[in-house]
Amino acid sequence: LPAGLSQWFPALEVLDVSGTGLSELGTELLALPCLHTLLAKNNRLGGPGSLPKGLGQAPLGRSLRVLNLSGNRFSEVPPALLGLRELRSLSLGGNRLHSIPPEIQELRSLEFLYLGGNFITSIPPELANLPSLSYLVLCDNKIQSIPPQLAQLHSLRSLSLHNNLLTYLPREILNLVHLEELSLRGNPLVVRFVRDLTYNPPSLQELAGRTIKTRNVPYAPSDLPENLVRYLSLASNCPNPKCGGVYFDSCVRQIKFVDFCGKYRLPLMHYLCSPECSSPCSSASQSSTSQSESDSEDEASVAARRMQKVLLG
Amino acid sequence: MEQPVQTETWKARSLEELVCILHRIFAEDKISVEEVQELMESYESNSEEWLQYAKFDQYRYTRNLVDSGNGKFNLMILCWGEGHGSSIHDHTDSHCFMKILQGNLKETLFEWPEKKGNGEMTKKSERVLRENQCAYINDSIGLHRVENISHTESAVSLHLYSPPFDTCNTFDQRTGHKHKVKMTFYSQYGERTVCVSTRQNLALPAPSH
Repeated sequence: LPAGLSQWFPALEVLDVSGTGLSELGTELLALPCLHTLLAKNNRLGGPGSLPKGLGQAPLGRSLRVLNLSGNRFSEVPPALLGLRELRSLSLGGNRLHSIPPEIQELRSLEFLYLGGNFITSIPPELANLPSLSYLVLCDNKIQSIPPQLAQLHSLRSLSLHNNLLTYLPREILNLVHLEELSLRGNPLVVRFVRDLTYNPPSLQELAGRTIKTRNVPYAPSDLPENLVRYLSLASNCPNPKCGGVYFDSCVRQIKFVDFCGKYRLPLMHYLCSPECSSPCSSASQSSTSQSESDSEDEASVAARRMQKVLLG
Repeated sequence: MEQPVQTETWKARSLEELVCILHRIFAEDKISVEEVQELMESYESNSEEWLQYAKFDQYRYTRNLVDSGNGKFNLMILCWGEGHGSSIHDHTDSHCFMKILQGNLKETLFEWPEKKGNGEMTKKSERVLRENQCAYINDSIGLHRVENISHTESAVSLHLYSPPFDTCNTFDQRTGHKHKVKMTFYSQYGERTVCVSTRQNLALPAPSH
C-alpha cells in the first residue's frame, strides 16, 4: 500500500484490496480516521506482521466496523485485531485457523463472525461473552463439541455448524430463544441411545461441596482456603427439576434424544448429578417411568417445538 | 427480435430480452425443456441488468421475484452469501431451471426416500455449477440441495419454475422425513417485501403447524 495513503485520501471510508496478492497491511492504514470497511480477501496475509501494530489504538482502530480477511493464510487470529472494540463484522473464512483465542471476547461490538472453512477443533466458552453476536458461522471445521455457555448468546439469530465433527449438542442450545437458523448437516450426530458408562463416583471434596450447596450451609471467604471458596463457586445445577442438586466435577453424561414430532431427532448431552437423576428433556416418544417427569416436559417440549422450526436438515 | 418462431436456438442478449422470449415460449401449449435450458444458458450474465434484484440477507439466502410470467412461470433471482445453503427439497411437480449469474453453486442430487423413510438419504451425485451454466431438475429426476460452499465469494442464481409454486417439501438427510413448507419472496420486482412474520424461509414449516 502506498505510504501517503492517509494524506491523499483522508476521508476514505471503504477500502477494498482483495485479490491483490498483499502479504501485509502496513502502518499507512492506521491514520485513516473515517475508514469503516476494510476488505482484504484472497491475499497472502497470515505471517507475523500481516496487520500493523497499534491497530487498536490508532484512529483506524476506532472507526473500523467491517473487516474481511477471508481467503488468506492466517493460522491464528491475529492478536493485532483484538483491539478493535468497535468492530461489528469480522470474517476469517477460508484461512488456516486451528483455534479461536479466548481474547475474542475483547471484540465487544461484534455482531457478525464468520470462521467457516478453517481447521478449528474447539470453541472457547469466552466466545459467549460477545453480547451483540447475532450471526456465528463455524461450518466446515473440525469441531467436536459445543460449549454449553454458547447458550448465553441471547442475540444469536443464526448459527452455522454444518460439516463438523459433532456427535451431540448441549441441551442448553434449546435456550437460544432468538435463534432462527441452525444448520447441522454433515455432522456424525449419534442416532442411537448412548450412555456414557464411565461414571466416576464423586470425591469426598465433591460430596462435601454438594452438601454445603444443597443445605445452604453458610460460609464466608475467611472460613475457607481460597481454592475451596473458588471451588464452591463452580457448582453447576443439575437440570433434573426433581433433584435440585448440584455437581462439580463428577457428573453423569447422558445423551437424550429430543424428538421433533418424528421429523428430526437431535441428540442433546445432559449433565446430571447422579445416575438416578433423569433429564427434563425427555423425548415425547420415549416412555416416561415417572409421572412427575411430565410436568417438566412442557417447558422442554415448547423449546423443542420452537427449535424444530429452526432446524435446517 | 430476429429469432424464428419454431424451436430454434435462441440467444438472449439481455435479461429483458430473456424475459421477453420466455413469455413467447410459454405462451405455446408445448414447451421443450432443452429449448428453455439453452435459452437460459445463452444469456451472458451482466450484473448491471440484475443488480436491482440482487438483495442479500446476511443470515440466509434470499428469493427475489423478477417476473411472474403471466401465471405460466416464476422467474426469480436467488442471492447466496458465503456458506449459505438450502435444505434438500422437491419441486412440487414443476420444472426447475437454475442458471448461475455470479460465483458458483454446488448442487447435490438425492434419491427420493423410501415410503417409510427411516434411514440416511442416498446421495446420487454432486457437481459445482459455474457462471452462466444452467441446470435443470424436476421431481422425476430427484431431489437436490443447493449451496454456496465458498467462504470468500457470494453467489447469485437465476431460477425459472413452471408452473409456479409456493409450497414444497424439505427433507431431513439423516432420516428421509419430509416437511411441507411455504416459500416467500424477499423482494418482488426489485422492491423489498414487508414480511408478516420473521420466520419465513424455505426451511421452516407453515405457521399453522
